[in-house]
Amino acid sequence: MERRSILKGAAGSAVIASTLGLPAIAQAQGRKILVIAAGQDIPNFDPHVATGYSASMLHRNTYDGLVRVVGAPPKVVPHLASSWTISPNGLEYVFKLNTAAKFHDGTPVTAHAVAYSFKRTLRLGKGNAWMIAGVVDPNGIEAVDVQTVRFKLLKPFAPFLSVLPWQFIVNPVLVETNKGSDDGQEFLRKNIAGSGRFKIKRAEAGNLYEFERVASPWLAGGNLDGAIWKIVRETSSQRLMVARGEVHFAVDLTSEDMDSLKDNPAVVRVLEPEFRTFSIKMNTAHGPLADINVRKAISHVFNYQGMLDAAGYAQLMVGPLPPGLMNDPKLKVPRTDLEMAKRYLAKSKYPNGGIKLTMVYVTGLEQQRRWSLVLLDSLKKLGIELEIKPTLWPDMVASTKTPQTTADFFPVYQTGNYADPDNVAFASYHSSRNGNWQNPVYNNPKVDALINKGRGEIDPKKRAAIYAELQQVLVDDAPDIFGVLEKRRLAYRKDVQNFVFTPVASNAIELQNLSLK
Amino acid sequence: MLHYIVRRILLLLPVLLGLSMMVFAIGRLLPGDPVLLAAGPNATKEEVAALAVEFGLDKPVAVQYWNYLTGLLHGDWGRSLQSRGPVLEDLKVFLPATLELVLAAMLIAVVFGILLGLLAAVKRNGWIDYSVRLVSLASISMPRFFLGLLLQLVFAMWLGWASLGGRFPLIASPPPLVTGMLTIDSLLAGDLPSFLLALQYLALPAMAMSLSPLATITRMMRASTMEVLQQDYMLTARALGIPPGKLLRKYVLRNALTSTLTVIGLYFGWLLGGTVLVESVFDWPGIGLYATKAIMMQDFMPIMGVVLTIGTLFVTFNLLIDLLYGVINPKVRLG
Amino acid sequence: MNESQAWARAYYRLRQNWLSLVGLVLVVFLLVVALAGNQLAPYPEHISGSVDTAMRFQAPSSAHWMGTNEMGQDVLSLVLGGARISLFGGLAVVVLAAVVGTMVGAVAGYFGGWTDEVLMRLADLKLTLPGLILAMAVAAALGAGTMNMVLAISLSWWPGFARLVRGEVISKREEVYVLAARALGAGSVRIMWRHILPNILSPIIVKMSLDVGFAVLTVASLGFVGIGVKPPTPEWGLMLSTARGFLPDYWWTAIFPGLAIFLTVLSFNLLGDGLRDVLDPRSRR
Repeated sequence: MERRSILKGAAGSAVIASTLGLPAIAQAQGRKILVIAAGQDIPNFDPHVATGYSASMLHRNTYDGLVRVVGAPPKVVPHLASSWTISPNGLEYVFKLNTAAKFHDGTPVTAHAVAYSFKRTLRLGKGNAWMIAGVVDPNGIEAVDVQTVRFKLLKPFAPFLSVLPWQFIVNPVLVETNKGSDDGQEFLRKNIAGSGRFKIKRAEAGNLYEFERVASPWLAGGNLDGAIWKIVRETSSQRLMVARGEVHFAVDLTSEDMDSLKDNPAVVRVLEPEFRTFSIKMNTAHGPLADINVRKAISHVFNYQGMLDAAGYAQLMVGPLPPGLMNDPKLKVPRTDLEMAKRYLAKSKYPNGGIKLTMVYVTGLEQQRRWSLVLLDSLKKLGIELEIKPTLWPDMVASTKTPQTTADFFPVYQTGNYADPDNVAFASYHSSRNGNWQNPVYNNPKVDALINKGRGEIDPKKRAAIYAELQQVLVDDAPDIFGVLEKRRLAYRKDVQNFVFTPVASNAIELQNLSLK
Repeated sequence: MLHYIVRRILLLLPVLLGLSMMVFAIGRLLPGDPVLLAAGPNATKEEVAALAVEFGLDKPVAVQYWNYLTGLLHGDWGRSLQSRGPVLEDLKVFLPATLELVLAAMLIAVVFGILLGLLAAVKRNGWIDYSVRLVSLASISMPRFFLGLLLQLVFAMWLGWASLGGRFPLIASPPPLVTGMLTIDSLLAGDLPSFLLALQYLALPAMAMSLSPLATITRMMRASTMEVLQQDYMLTARALGIPPGKLLRKYVLRNALTSTLTVIGLYFGWLLGGTVLVESVFDWPGIGLYATKAIMMQDFMPIMGVVLTIGTLFVTFNLLIDLLYGVINPKVRLG
Repeated sequence: MNESQAWARAYYRLRQNWLSLVGLVLVVFLLVVALAGNQLAPYPEHISGSVDTAMRFQAPSSAHWMGTNEMGQDVLSLVLGGARISLFGGLAVVVLAAVVGTMVGAVAGYFGGWTDEVLMRLADLKLTLPGLILAMAVAAALGAGTMNMVLAISLSWWPGFARLVRGEVISKREEVYVLAARALGAGSVRIMWRHILPNILSPIIVKMSLDVGFAVLTVASLGFVGIGVKPPTPEWGLMLSTARGFLPDYWWTAIFPGLAIFLTVLSFNLLGDGLRDVLDPRSRR
């Protein structure tokens, strides 16, 4: 009987709690805490090791980079570096640091700290090191004086400034004191040695991370006292929580979720195009798809409209590069045309199909499951059977080691880690990425040459011409089924102010300038 | 009595040893290459090899087991390839959440199961018999994850009485950490509002977990109570004029409980390993979710850690049940 | 009494127990659906993977009794198609576990001594480990596919049968007819196969029938997590898991697969319960 009254009391407080909603609780305590619902955990805090949008969110708020990227189209703006010069041959960059910048312990952010951090990144070779590996000369990073740092590049690299927001500066004194035997990795896994506006107040692995503003930040902005990154695995739960005001931000919403939020007056929906491409890569090195006619046939039988319907808020790719990253608007890409598909197939060894192809996708990724069904349905029209294998991510990665073990169809999301065509071109089509999940098998020397030229060319007009040629070669070679560009789908409460959408890492919410009403 | 307890505890040790061996064998026999993922998509061959050495994967299996066992006893349960952190630390964080859920579910199941079972046995007639049987069969047939979704749909989405998931309101500070079980910790801190809040979040997932054991315990209690009620000594006791309350407590309950106790012990173990899907539905950060993530990443140290923990708890809990059995039923002690 | 009289008695008792009859009818119905699902389904092409993206998320109507899902596929057809996987998966698990468990248990019970000790310790240890988590881990490691899933689940299921059979074999081991057969020079295998096994069949069948429901539940549980069958094969657990994201708006994508699982498990449990009452009156409650 005592249990019943407890239950009644609990029910009562439940009603009260849910009608008030959490932002009210935050206000009641006088503190402005922004609550973000996201699906990804942050198991490792080390800025030179961890990757993923959740880690990026942590890093960009607790650490700083030389520059920041902001706005649509994305622009590089000064941050730790207040100004910089680039040598005419593009091989040398000199940055002058902002004297106001300081670490959480009060010491200033010096050129030595910058050099130390870059060297550590290259030394460990993990995390975002791939963006600068082979580009920055590890022996060419020099602290010229307390506020000036110089980088010597091994070869010209046009996107250099774009990758800098993701190279974070750590406090060398703290890291050295806690170096241990693994270069400070154990320490930085759980601790912050940064200069950002926020530090970690509470960390519950797999559950939530609470940020709080540091006592005297070196850069002002926004009125947030703190924020919470709450892990909510189900997108529908995220949707319901932002609809009911239990969280301020929901960053992993599906198209169905966005539809559900359409008429909610208290929620702002963000449906913006981004640079994240999705393509189905075909095995050009082994199996029936090594024949370009089969690939072209498949590119023309694929039900692009079906893929778009299943994707919801998205647009079809119009080439290997997304719009806004030097894509060529005059490019013609394959569209559903059964007659043309059959003609191509007739030129191959299997004019009537009769073969069975395999496709893998990551177990649990609902969108990829849908698109695999669209492919299966499309291939039926050519008499080709598709075997779909949901695979665990480690096995998918392992399968890309050799062309023989790679499946015929391999779906890939290519994230725009930095806003530059090189990001997509290099990761997706350069043969140095073979044996890797981003580009398992495709190898075309002509394409390699064009990509290398493109990343080394500083002049924007010449670059555009190079990438135009690259895209035409790629469309002619048909190594992928060019799929969709999903729009970024976020939602936030109306009382969040100053949110500016940037099509790079937009779900790694930057707390810097945000305010709560 | 002491002899019995000591004997049973000593028997525990070879069982635990066998458990560790079995778990290790299972873990190492699973196919797949987890080192590859942990190394990352941009790692070189040397880095992968170095990582394999770091995790001791290059030594022969017997040596690996010995290292594993000695490590276990020293508190080193391996590292998760994903977070690169110690598994034991992760378990300390996630286990209390699952324990809290299981204990709450068992509490509901035991309390209501015994009451309903007694009620059904005392008021026996054909109609009640059939409905209890049908309802309990329906209850154990209901998939926990479907039930969880339905509870969520009705109570969280339509009525708005409960939250969708999680253990505690986001902004509020949890009570100081003692056991890791929020309800108990809030009581220990004398913090009644936190206790009520934690209870509110615990309610739906505990209800989803409790239905199945509730049904079984009800049936068992009903059956064994009916059996007891028919015994001669009950007739004697009633003829001697012993009041019904005392009758219930001293004779019926004690004798009917013995077989139910076994079921309680078994269910505790089954629930521990069976929270996976309910934790997924309610976003309850327990070892079920932890194991699922590890399985999806072929991260075998966490998988083995979870399996070993559950096995050990199962065996220990059943030992306690056995001892309790011995207390209630002296015949067992002498056997 | 002879065998046919025993079965007649059993059937008579089953008929008296109307709940079990309901279970029997439902199970037969489900088996028919599982076998003929593709013919019964109004849109059989959806079961083999065809999609109709223009008809996504239609509410239940006369054209689609259970509505359509996120790819425009008819939910009723998918539910009917999923019956095959769930039922046969569940049955396969139980049969495989029973076969393996019986062999192990018979050997342990008949030969006794060290063999018995070792095998039973192994079985007992296995029983303490969390079955669902292990099945998930093994199925995930083996890869997608119905056979892999069945194998993985059976690995956790056999110890129960082993213990049961061992107990039964031990009790039958000293029966007169066994001693007589041994005196006549019959080998162990022959004795086990021709004399002991037929006499312990009914408890094994009872346990099998009681376990099918939970095997079906385990198959659905693995599907819910995303381990098990490969698309486009419909599976109720997977359908339920996908449909979670569409609650509460497109409730029909979740409710119908969930109810299908529930009714299937319930039918087998009703039947199993009745069979137990009938074949094994000792354990009647």
